[in-house]
Amino acid sequence: MATYLEFIQQNEERDGVRFSWNVWPSSRLEATRMVVPLACLLTPLKERPDLPPVQYEPVLCSRPTCKAILNPLCQVDYRAKLWACNFCFQRNQFPPAYAGISEVNQPAELMPQFSTIEYVVQRGAPSPLIFLYVVDTCLEEDDLQALKESLQMSLSLLPPDALVGLITFGRMVQVHELSCEGISKSYVFRGTKDLTAKQIQDMLGLTKPAMPVQPVRPAQPQERPSVSSRFLQPIHKIDMNLTDLLGELQRDPWPVPQGKRPLRSTGVALSIAVGLLEGTFPNTGARIMLFTGGPPTQGPGMVVGDELKVPIRSWHDIEKDNARFMKKATKHYEMLANRTAANGHCIDIYACALDQTGLLEMKCCPNLTGGYMVMGDSFNTSLFKQTFQRIFSKDFNGNFRMAFGATLEVKTSRELKVAGAIGPCVSLNVKGPCVSENELGVGGTSQWKICGLDPTNTLGIYFEVVNQHNAPIPQGGRGAIQFVTHYQHSSTQRRIRVTTVARNWADVQSQLKHIEAAFDQEAAAVLMARLGVFRAESEEGPDVLRWLDRQLIRLCQKFGQYNKEDPVSFRLSDSFSLYPQFMFHLRRSPFLQVFNNSPDESSYYRHHFARQDLTQSLIMIQPILYSYSFHGPPEPVLLDSSSILADRILLMDTFFQIVIYLGETIAQWRKAGYQDMPEYENFKHLLQAPLDDAQEILQARFPMPRYIHTEHGGSQARFLLSKVNPSQTHNNLYAWGQETGAPILTDDVSLQVFMDHLKKLAVSSAC
Amino acid sequence: MAELYVKPGNTERGWNDPPQFSYGLQTQAGGPKRSPLTKRVAAPQDGSPRVPTSETSPGLPPMGPPPPSSKASRPPPFVGSCPPSRMEPMDSPVVESEILLEDVLRPLERALEDCRGHIKKQVCDDISRRLALLQEQWAGGKLSMPVKKRMALLVQELSSHQWDAADDIHRSLMVDHVTEVSQWMVGVKRLIAVKRSLFSEEEPNEEKSIATAEQNQTVPGVQLDCDPVGSPDSSHTTSCALAWEASLT
Repeated sequence: MATYLEFIQQNEERDGVRFSWNVWPSSRLEATRMVVPLACLLTPLKERPDLPPVQYEPVLCSRPTCKAILNPLCQVDYRAKLWACNFCFQRNQFPPAYAGISEVNQPAELMPQFSTIEYVVQRGAPSPLIFLYVVDTCLEEDDLQALKESLQMSLSLLPPDALVGLITFGRMVQVHELSCEGISKSYVFRGTKDLTAKQIQDMLGLTKPAMPVQPVRPAQPQERPSVSSRFLQPIHKIDMNLTDLLGELQRDPWPVPQGKRPLRSTGVALSIAVGLLEGTFPNTGARIMLFTGGPPTQGPGMVVGDELKVPIRSWHDIEKDNARFMKKATKHYEMLANRTAANGHCIDIYACALDQTGLLEMKCCPNLTGGYMVMGDSFNTSLFKQTFQRIFSKDFNGNFRMAFGATLEVKTSRELKVAGAIGPCVSLNVKGPCVSENELGVGGTSQWKICGLDPTNTLGIYFEVVNQHNAPIPQGGRGAIQFVTHYQHSSTQRRIRVTTVARNWADVQSQLKHIEAAFDQEAAAVLMARLGVFRAESEEGPDVLRWLDRQLIRLCQKFGQYNKEDPVSFRLSDSFSLYPQFMFHLRRSPFLQVFNNSPDESSYYRHHFARQDLTQSLIMIQPILYSYSFHGPPEPVLLDSSSILADRILLMDTFFQIVIYLGETIAQWRKAGYQDMPEYENFKHLLQAPLDDAQEILQARFPMPRYIHTEHGGSQARFLLSKVNPSQTHNNLYAWGQETGAPILTDDVSLQVFMDHLKKLAVSSAC
Repeated sequence: MAELYVKPGNTERGWNDPPQFSYGLQTQAGGPKRSPLTKRVAAPQDGSPRVPTSETSPGLPPMGPPPPSSKASRPPPFVGSCPPSRMEPMDSPVVESEILLEDVLRPLERALEDCRGHIKKQVCDDISRRLALLQEQWAGGKLSMPVKKRMALLVQELSSHQWDAADDIHRSLMVDHVTEVSQWMVGVKRLIAVKRSLFSEEEPNEEKSIATAEQNQTVPGVQLDCDPVGSPDSSHTTSCALAWEASLT
């Protein structure tokens, strides 16, 4: 039996797609019995340095309900210059420009290696990118200074023709008018009263009186009507003045009495930012970047009152229905997020404070628009500074990685329908023949909008097989899916990325082994995890865990090899062997366990989980653990307490943290200073090795992870101890009879116990 | 050209703050990529924990010293191309001696003079105000050695019309030393931009740097074999008969 691992990997590299099943069950009934839905992880803008874009418009199928794009799966009659759409079988004439094609002279989009292809299209005048900074001034002096410097630095990283604007807020909200004249003006709004978009635009003087139709002018990339230029100006004109303006920003002048929080009007500030962009630059790439150092305490969207003695809501408060402001605040930000997404803009939140800042209520802003969420302790930390710098990182062509205003459309062959998507997107409510009645994630549509997108953003897309049971396998034996992503590239070009994939159908009864062999357990784990986390937003925690467990048991019952009622006989084939482990770690992860995390932290972790690619998502579910010792080269080891040994250094990557842990003996040697002695140079190298590996991860990852260097007995070792499987606890220390590894003080269930229970339930005929 | 260094994060404000990489290290695209740490070990199906072999007795001292180098049969795990992880002196031909203020300021002021007729008075005044600030800070000893060194380099690049290089140095200074340079660096940045656009006006063949798009479409490593039948002309026609023989890696 051929392994599918290479096939899976090649497809991921080429198309940015990973399916849970790579051979598809041919009937709806059988597909539901497979437990894990047919679904894929799609990275729409996967970086492809080897894929040059083509400079022409794509060729579309002429059927109005189809409009699929010409792709390598289409049948082509080169003599008659006709092509048959592989989705709806319509025969289409090639456009005149294709008159010269033949078998030996194919256009790129018909060649199999171009299953993923990118088109550059000319659609109207290129519009510049827009960055609107919304800055909290209720910060400590050091923090404000560090933030100001970061913002000044960012002006050097932005392209010269990008437009930039500034809104500052505290008790009041100030919209700064940027001019080159040297006198700074601003419009001040009360932070207590929310305003409609129209009111904001009127007060800022953005609404033009009714004008006669303007004569058509040639496209001027940098000139916009003067009405909108006052608040958003190009960098190359305004950088000096804006640098001075930023440098002169002061802390919010309103005094904060003892025992009170500063009055922070985040809700109104964000509302004004959204309204400003809505009125001046709708439907063009823009980022609203909110920098905040504490929770909103005033006006619509406030998350906590100004009395310090009333703490901000915890999970406990929320469970007991004791979070006064939560519902109303969430509604306010959801309204803003939906408007922003409709306008094609995205909202980033950079929250740096020691206490919570209201990310729980505000999370819809980055989640629905594709913006970033960055959480740190202070703006004066390298975590914030470097994460912020990385937003402006450039690709191999010298362009920003960020893309804007994307719409994703999914087309399927008629045996499949789209049930929904989970990721940083909103629905465009486009109904059609591909849309399923059953919803998984954001459903009821075959098109979604992702206003902010980068090369690692990944969506989970869920399908439904609709072929009836006992219907014959469709002619040709393969089902196909096409993903079409229209977007604004950071160079302001409009582009279309088209990925068309196909997989074989198989009858489950006769070909179960083929289907099993083509199971991608890593993709399946992440796709199920996304479903679980999606549920966790609206359901009770224990219910989600029960659902997850039930799915796992059913999967083991279907695909395990065992004798009934005999747990010891239970076996899973290689393509399933890691899956239960993933589920075990997922159950303990901060995505499904809110214990020990604040609501803001849970929101932050879930935000990143719902958008990362497969490799990073797996790291989040089950952290990577590597061991360094004198016994050989660095090797991956079980995420288990038995891997914690005295003569080893461990490197653990949870995505959010990098932990380097020195075993007891190593720590003692280091304390004794052996690394400084020339005859023990190899010890010095051993200490350095994990640092070098950690550095590679730290240099590349967005957001920047926290960095913990600890040792046996250190208080920060808890980061490692809480993640490893506690195969050895204070409860079973003597039962095992051996003292390898460090016992973990916990009552948590270990993987062994979990697997024992799972096997018992799977083989039981009662289930 | 830019420095490559790592310094520790701000552990006072964030006890697990990650280390800070210099601009040079951050913009290194890839570099020698070791195999990424993404492998996992499957848990044994029968449930017993694997006991890894361990040569030292578990638990307590007295521990002996680590195996000395001469005995080690394997070389340390990563040889050679380790990215620099300590403060390293910049590898440049400029000796550690005094970098004179005049050597940096004079060319900048000259550049400003060249531009004076071509830009608005306000902008000119702004730039000269910032150059004065630079002078004041330099003379007052407020600027560190790396900043001075890199400014000297920047001025060299500017004088030899290497706009992109000068721009890159200005960016690296803004990223690595923002506290020292933020007040006046934007003036230098503007000066580079103005000189660049003036220069390209004088030479119409040169591409304007502010323009976007076109130059970003050449991708390394791809051969475009234009088939004689249906040859593509400009990038904006809907010609499709490009037989791409892209050498996909």
